[in-house]
Amino acid sequence: MKAPFSPYLAGIKPGLRALLGALQPHFEYLSLLATDSKGLAVRVSRHAKSVASSTMTTERGVVVRAAKNGLYSEYAFNRFDPEKADEKADEILAALNAQFALLEATGTAVYDTPLLPDEPETLFVEKETAEMPEETDVKALVEKMVALQEAALAKDERIIECMVNAQSTHISKLFLTKNRDLSQSYVYSEGVIVPFATDGEKTVNGYQGVADIRGPEIFDTLGDRLDKAVSTAVELLSAGRIEPGEYDVISSPEVSGLIAHEAFGHGVEMDMFVKDRALGKDYIGKRVGSDYVTMHEGALCAENVASYAFDDEGTLAGDVTEIDKGILKTGVCDALSALRLGTVPTGNGKRENFEHKAYTRMTNTVFDSGESTLDEMIASIDYGYLLEGMESGMEDPKHWGIQCILKLGREIKDGKLTGKIVAPIIMTGYVPELLGSISMLSSDREVFGNGGCGKGHKEWVKVSDGGPYMKMKARLG
Amino acid sequence: MTEKLIALLKASGVHAWEVTDVVTDAWEFYFIRHKLDQNRAVSVRHVFVNVFETTDGCKTLGSASAEVPLGATEDEMKKLISDLSYRATLVKNAYYPLNPAVADEGENVKIDVPAIAKAYIGALRSLPETATEDINSYEIFVRAKSRRFINSNGVDVRETYPSSMAEVIVNARRDGHEIELYRSFTSGECDEAVLKEDLVAAMRQGRDRLAAEKTPALGKVAVVFSSDDACEIYDYFSTRLDPAMLFRHFSDYKIGEPISDALAGDKVTVRTVKTLPGSSENFSYDREGAPIRDETLMENGVPRFFTGGRMFSCLMGLENTFIPTNVVFGGGTKTEEEIRRGAYLEAVEFSDFQVDPVTGDVFGELRLGYYHDGQGHVTPVSGGSVSGDMGEFLKTMTMSKETKRNDNIVYPKLTRLEDVTFAG
Repeated sequence: MKAPFSPYLAGIKPGLRALLGALQPHFEYLSLLATDSKGLAVRVSRHAKSVASSTMTTERGVVVRAAKNGLYSEYAFNRFDPEKADEKADEILAALNAQFALLEATGTAVYDTPLLPDEPETLFVEKETAEMPEETDVKALVEKMVALQEAALAKDERIIECMVNAQSTHISKLFLTKNRDLSQSYVYSEGVIVPFATDGEKTVNGYQGVADIRGPEIFDTLGDRLDKAVSTAVELLSAGRIEPGEYDVISSPEVSGLIAHEAFGHGVEMDMFVKDRALGKDYIGKRVGSDYVTMHEGALCAENVASYAFDDEGTLAGDVTEIDKGILKTGVCDALSALRLGTVPTGNGKRENFEHKAYTRMTNTVFDSGESTLDEMIASIDYGYLLEGMESGMEDPKHWGIQCILKLGREIKDGKLTGKIVAPIIMTGYVPELLGSISMLSSDREVFGNGGCGKGHKEWVKVSDGGPYMKMKARLG
Repeated sequence: MTEKLIALLKASGVHAWEVTDVVTDAWEFYFIRHKLDQNRAVSVRHVFVNVFETTDGCKTLGSASAEVPLGATEDEMKKLISDLSYRATLVKNAYYPLNPAVADEGENVKIDVPAIAKAYIGALRSLPETATEDINSYEIFVRAKSRRFINSNGVDVRETYPSSMAEVIVNARRDGHEIELYRSFTSGECDEAVLKEDLVAAMRQGRDRLAAEKTPALGKVAVVFSSDDACEIYDYFSTRLDPAMLFRHFSDYKIGEPISDALAGDKVTVRTVKTLPGSSENFSYDREGAPIRDETLMENGVPRFFTGGRMFSCLMGLENTFIPTNVVFGGGTKTEEEIRRGAYLEAVEFSDFQVDPVTGDVFGELRLGYYHDGQGHVTPVSGGSVSGDMGEFLKTMTMSKETKRNDNIVYPKLTRLEDVTFAG
């Protein structure tokens, strides 16, 4: 079935057109993004279970972007009567004029920006899904999740708790300008199993997830992850600490994705170029990794939680080759930054929700795969680690430092896994050195969409990332 | 709409319910250097409803929640309540009663959003920038938020309070090389003095980072935390005092028993306070309608009172609990000179310093530190990572008597952890 576009947005669309018409005489450029995204979130743990209709991305509201005299201004609201568009226009003008008065009183200079183009475009996209979160059988889903949680507890007496979360969101967005009329509707879902194990002294957790640009039907596969989640938690109880140092390592696809995201995801968000906040600006056309490194970014380069048809500024989705055989080719760009840099937007202008500003943000960020098998890669290492599981990451685009907190490392000795594990792992390094050391890639790859991404320490959006197994040298602590 | 929703809930026959009605008016300004990139205004209202139903003869309680679409008709609200009532029966938690009614003493502060925004703009423009240290960009957020919380037990409280935030990027450059430091400030109104003091310090630290040497492989080293990263360390203690952590055995703290039988350093004291000057969290009621008050949670390393969300508090048989908003950490007995004894690494900037409150794992990549060799020499250093186990560190941790505030947290100005693993 197709995920049906929001009847609410379709219903208020004439009113939104009227609102744009009422504001038009006051500005040189006007656009409007209206959202109506519904969701379902079920959270199950041993002692706390809940059902909610809110997820990280549920929202309903409108943001108007207006420009005049080189300045872009926005007004976000969620109280709108389509029969009273003129009143809303007056409210918007009053609010923005009050801000203009403050800016004048403080002698604030404007970062002069050209007008956004308004090329004609009409698009109506309803993506395929098997189920809708609004219509799913919540009773069956709760029972399924409770069964998973109980199964995890029954597997090992050291498992003291297991959280099973599932959330699915039906996104509907409408973008309007004088010449553009874009509508999209799609569903994405994600689920996780997090068992906690204890030996009385320390408590650790395993983590497995599923995510896809489909409906709640994907939760049928959550059970396939149970054994791995439980065994990881139990294994971690006996993990030792790593001896800090530089090692030959193999990153699992999940860790490869984290590296992609932190290394040349944030590092080539081109709103950072406008502010001179990223070294990448000076490295376009230069080598930043080994010949094995090819990396794509874009809503079209994978099918996962961030695969939309157009971004929150009305730019159609893209697929950008950021790094080609180790050479940095380009970054990703929102619409205003593109104007300021004299380039074209790539469909990466995203907002946390309608209340938030649009920034250049990642969508799907993935390394291309290679030709080796994982066994060949392990066999090539005298001493090192196979790195699994991501906890968090942080980048420094101005200095190209990278920090990845990883779940565990599996020891490799004389080309074989020894069964010994170390945890947790903090992997740090200088991005070009890390990517420059990549020497083998597996022929398969996976993409993961369970994470959220912040800009600095806020502005959380959904992203996915991934890649193949990758062999490299890394500093671990 | 909220009154209609409440009337419908009362008439619906559901076991219990909560409604939260939040109105936010915000002004935002985004600057590149000191030029305005964008100005934004936000005017929104969000109404959330949580419906509770009992099952198994009132032994279990389930809940289901949703945001009520603004402008929803009476029929739409009735259907929503009915759907939530059904969904609530699908989840079964141990029964607990919602918070009881209290007299409405909510804070209702008059908020002048433009004046607060103007103060931020003025403060950020008046910094002592130089040719080598300056402000790259900043974002200013000022919010007036009014919240009304109502439940089926008769709680009906309203509060209006300001919150503001500035995110600032500081640049420092030397010999063609430029670095940046990230700083963010959250408070009620604009705290100009704190903002300026911290940003002037950030400029100095930027200068030092450009001159920093690569941190040597220090192995085991004492680390002194002198920046807001220390809040992560103290969050470890307050999180482990939360009934949600205790009931699920993620924390083994017990009332009246020391958190470790080997506490040889300073012993942490944790207090919650209803009001903290400058905090963005000066509320009279928590998000579940429980009145907030001053309370000592841990005294010299000995838990005295557990407090947190209603459900886990009730499961633990705790009474008069609330979710803390402002937390004051103390217990330090040392002067600055005593903390800064011998050789140690002073950590002032991490890429992302973290302390896991469940596992106790500590980790962070160092962006700027000062290595004090104990002989009077101080070397700015950068790179490498710290790691270790907070459960071990707390046994010998020492703290300064002097404290500082970061929004809603007061914590010792200096915190020293011994035998931290440092990978260069």
